[in-house]
This record gives sequence, C-alpha cells and structure tokens, in this order.
Amino acid sequence: MEKEGFWGQQWQATGAKLPPELNSGSAASDQLPQCFLNLNWKQPMAHDADFESALSSLVSSPCSNPPASADGSSIGELIGRLGGICNSNDISASSPYPSADASCYSTPLNSPPKLNLSVMDHRQQGRGGPPMPVNRVPGPQLGPFSAEPGFEDGAARLSCFAGRSSGSFAGQFGFLDPGNLSEASRSQCPKAGFGSCVGVGQSRSERPAHLEMKMRPKIDGSSTAEESEVGNGPEESSLSDRMTAEASSLRGITDNNSGKWKTATKRKGRRAPLSSSATNPPANMTEEESSDAKRCKTADRKGGAKNEVAKPKTEKNGHPGHREGKDNDHQPPEPPKDYIHVRARRGQATDAHSLAERVRREKISKRMKFLQDLVPGCNKVTGKAVMLDEIINYVQSLQRQIEFLSMKLATLNPQTDVSMENLLRKDIYQSRGPMPQPVFPAEIGTVLSYAHQPQTIALQSIVTSGLEAQFSLNSLQSSLRQSQSLQHATTDAYTDASSQLGGLWEDDLQNVAQTGFGQNHGQTHTGHLKIEL
Amino acid sequence: MEPKSCSGDGNPSRNLHPSKPLMAANFLRCLSRIQQTATNSSVGSRSRRIRRAAYASMAYSAGHRRAWSWALLRKLRCRRVRPVILPRRPRIARPQVVIEIDRAEVLRKLVPGGTGMDYCRLLEETADYIRCLATQVRLMQTVTDSISS
Repeated sequence: MEKEGFWGQQWQATGAKLPPELNSGSAASDQLPQCFLNLNWKQPMAHDADFESALSSLVSSPCSNPPASADGSSIGELIGRLGGICNSNDISASSPYPSADASCYSTPLNSPPKLNLSVMDHRQQGRGGPPMPVNRVPGPQLGPFSAEPGFEDGAARLSCFAGRSSGSFAGQFGFLDPGNLSEASRSQCPKAGFGSCVGVGQSRSERPAHLEMKMRPKIDGSSTAEESEVGNGPEESSLSDRMTAEASSLRGITDNNSGKWKTATKRKGRRAPLSSSATNPPANMTEEESSDAKRCKTADRKGGAKNEVAKPKTEKNGHPGHREGKDNDHQPPEPPKDYIHVRARRGQATDAHSLAERVRREKISKRMKFLQDLVPGCNKVTGKAVMLDEIINYVQSLQRQIEFLSMKLATLNPQTDVSMENLLRKDIYQSRGPMPQPVFPAEIGTVLSYAHQPQTIALQSIVTSGLEAQFSLNSLQSSLRQSQSLQHATTDAYTDASSQLGGLWEDDLQNVAQTGFGQNHGQTHTGHLKIEL
Repeated sequence: MEPKSCSGDGNPSRNLHPSKPLMAANFLRCLSRIQQTATNSSVGSRSRRIRRAAYASMAYSAGHRRAWSWALLRKLRCRRVRPVILPRRPRIARPQVVIEIDRAEVLRKLVPGGTGMDYCRLLEETADYIRCLATQVRLMQTVTDSISS
C-alpha cells in the first residue's frame, strides 16, 4: 500500500526493532508500543478502521513508552500521525511521514474538514514546553496542524478508536478522565478517541494529565464531536480491537469524550477522508479484517486476559471500512498497564497463533476440569498451579500405595488357590458392584487363556467363581460376544479346566464348559456364590 | 477420554478404569505366577516383581492407545536395557513456571511417557494414568484384604 510504504519508510528507522518484535508477538516492553505505532501506521490508512488502528498504535505506543522520555516525542508523533491520518486521503501516498513527526503534522493539516487540531495546536503551542512535555515536538509540528480538520480527523479517529476499545485506550492515554472516557468510549468509539489519542501520546501517567487538561476542554468542544463520529465506522472495529488490549483507563476517558466528539464528527467530510486514507493501507488491513470477526469477539472476551493475546486480536481488527456487526463496545477487561502489548499485524500468522492458542487453552482447561473430578478433594481448588500440585501429589501417593501394597503382597505369600478364588470373588463383588458378571466371562477367558498354567486349583477356583457368576447373568451372551476373541481360547481353557476338574464340580460347570459361556444355568448359583463369600 | 467403566448405581467406581476386570485378571495371573515361582526369593525382590507385575497389568489392560501405557510397557520390556530417551519437545514456559517449579516437568517425570508430550496431551495422559493407578490400587487392596482375611 502506498500508505504502508509511506509510513513504513518513516518507521523503518524508528521501528528497526519492531519487525522482530512484531513477528514474534512478544509482549512486551516499550518496544512493542513503538512497533505498534509503526505497524499501525503502515496499515491503518486504508480505512477509518485503519486510521483508528493507527491512532491506537500511536496512542498505545507512546503510552507504553516511559512517560518521561517518550512524552515529547510521542506526543509529537501522535500529533503528526493524527495529522497524517486526517490527511491520509489527501496525502495518500506520499507525504510522508517525514521524520516521524514533522511530516505527520504537516500533512494532515491539509485535508480534514474540521480539525480539532487547532485546539491541539494552540494548546500545544500556547503551552510551549512545560505544560506538555510534548510541546516541543508539537509546537513546530503543530504549525501544520493548524489545519484543524486534519487534526480533528485524527483526533476523531483516536476517539473512535478509544471509544471502541472501550476504555483501554482511554486508560492508556489517561488523557481524559478515565471515567468519562470509558463511558463515552464504550458507547461510541469516536469521541474519546481523540482525547485518548492525544493522551496516549503522552503516556498515561502524568503527561497525559497535561494533555488532558488541555485537550479536554477542546475535546469537549463541538469540533471534536465530529471527528469522533468520523471514526465510528471502520475505526470502531479496529480500534475496539486495539483498545481491548490497551488499558481500560482510557475507557473512562473515551467514554467521557465520546459524547462530545459525536457532534464533532458529524461534520461529514471527516469520514470520507478518513475512509479514503483508511482504504489505503490495504493488504495488511484486509488480512486483519478477515480475522477481525474473531478477533473482535475474542478481544472482548480476552481483552484483559493477556496482552499478547489481545494484541493480535485488536490488530487484526483492522477492518477496512465498515464494521458491520463489530462490537464496538469492547471493554478491555485488563486494567491499564504501563505499556501496551501490541503485536504487529502480520497477516495470518498472528491470527493463527492467537486462535490456536485460544483453542489450546480451552482444551487445557477442559482437561483440568476432568482431572479435578478424578483427583479427590480438588473441587475447591482453583488455579492451575495449585491444581497441578494436587495432581502431582495424588499421582505420587498412588504410586507409593502400589509399592506399599506390592510389598504387602510379597510378605503375605498367600496360598495360591485360596487367594485366587477369594480374590476373584471379592474383587468381582466388591469392586464391580452389581454387574460384575458380564465382564467376568471376559476376565475368566483372559485368565484362562493367559494363565494357561498348570495351576489346577487356581484355575478351578477361578473357573468356579467365574462360572458361578456367569450363571446368574442373562446378559452373559452379550458380554461373551464382546469378548469373542477370548471365547475361543476360553472355551478351550474351559474344556481343559473342566476336564481337569473332573467330577469335582457341579454339573453346571460341565454344562457350561460344553455350551460355552452363553448359558445361564440358573440363579441359584449366584446365591451359592454369595454364600461362599 | 476413555469411557468410564460401567458402574453400579451405588458403586463409586466412576473413577475406575474401564478395563478393570482385565486388569484384575492380568494382575492376579502375574501374582499367582510370582508367588509360585519366587517362593524362595526375598521379600524385597518379590515385592519388586509384584510391583512390576502391577504396572504391567495396568499398562496391558490400558492398551496401546494410551501413551503412558505404551511407554510403560516399553520400559518394562526393556527394563534390562537402557531406557529409551524419548525426543523431548521443547517445553513452553508458562508464566508461573518461570518463577516457580515447573510443575509440568514434575508431572512429566511422574507419568510414564510424559517427557515427549505437550502440556495438553500430558494432562490427558495424566487423567487416564490416574484412573488406572486408582483402579490398580483398589485391586491390590482387595487382593491383600482377601488374602489376609
């Protein structure tokens, strides 16, 4: 895209480190915000959404940067970008983004219809240095900004952006009253955006305060309303996404301002230029848009969850133009952070990662729930770490129990036949409850087939108990069918067993051996078995 | 997840492994064999054999579809040979892990065959392994109770 390249050029220098970060999507540090800025700039232009994203990036990046250092430059950049965005349509390609700040400022001023830049301008300029750390940058740069409209557009975008992102943006910027912004932004994106944008430049903490004070009055002004509106459509989605990632403090601010911005944005032309500029950014945005739907929703849900996750989502929202059903009221649940984790939108890669990550998380949580049921006493435990501890303890205890029981068994040295018989019976009736029999044939079959040993007595006992158990079941056949593979072997085994047993056993046993497992010779055997037990 | 074993209404065998009877049969078979063939060996060695038999029957009844049973069987079959070192999948550090003990690693060591799995699969295998272990423990308890009584 022209815009991308246009912005990219500028950013390349500044965002040298960005690409790797962007690609990696690592969360972050100060660098991320910058990346965000850079990346957003490249993409956003295409539509309002883009614009918003750019704005958000602008906002976010400065916010994340340490307040002290980045204020001046960030603000300047922010302003410049705003201007750039505003004038994006006009500028479209070229103007570029001069040295990051100055150019931005210059370009935007030209286009936009109503620009609250003037507000910014003179605020910035009037203040000079101290009131706003950024002043130094904006000062000269604001000159170009004198074209309010452009700035307004930018501001509007930012407001929209902030509004959508529900306050995260606002939180970040700390630009306006957090409470206000959040309300406004939530409702409509645009209004606060502007305020938040500006605030963002400053970094949420003190600096934004300066801007806040200054901007607020301006923002409240009518002009801003228009701008805020402008950014509504496309920006909302993108911004909202971005915003979710960002601090929620902005939310308040944006909300507050959104109302005011509305009027400003009404001014009509804003959208056009914004959209045109938004349209520029092209490919990246489209990609994002595709994932926007998901991102939007996921961003909302997980806005507060993780920065890393949220970022890609928000970025993905670069929807080009209209947010059809996007939820603009994303309220980033996560509290405002000192820095914003913004991940550069890099097409599908990030998208897939985020999606896969989400799916993976859901899978893991599902399994943890299942484990919770298995491990006794884990119902009240919450949290993965504690849960894992419990699981580990339980597994260790089970393994220790097995060792202990094996030692015990070794020491007991029981009589084989007796033990077998008893074991089988008890095991069947104690552990399996009312339906041991159906499985018994299989078990017996297994025992007989595997333990084809000359343990006559043991076999006899097993067979006896097994047969007795069988007799009482009418569903033997079904269970036998299940263990058909064993049946053949067991039949043979039974034959052998029966032959071995000789006449010691009841007639039933022989019958069973002859007929196989599928015979229920009567319920009496069950009673017989029980008595034996 | 494996289907839960058919349990009676009043039978709290929800957590029992579905192939408990098979497991019981296997274990009893091994037990009887051990008791027959190793009557003169020491308690320690016999207990070790019994324990191995327990694990073997557990793994055998679980089948080859579970990674842990597969790894366990391999380990048991090649117990005289050096254990096979499975290719380790790079562990993804989770935030909590960075600061504290890596519980996932501990779990991997506990569950047979867990070293080459990702976290998601590890949890699944752990669940099945726990179920089988619980079943085996119950089985052995029943056996000892019946023997001692």
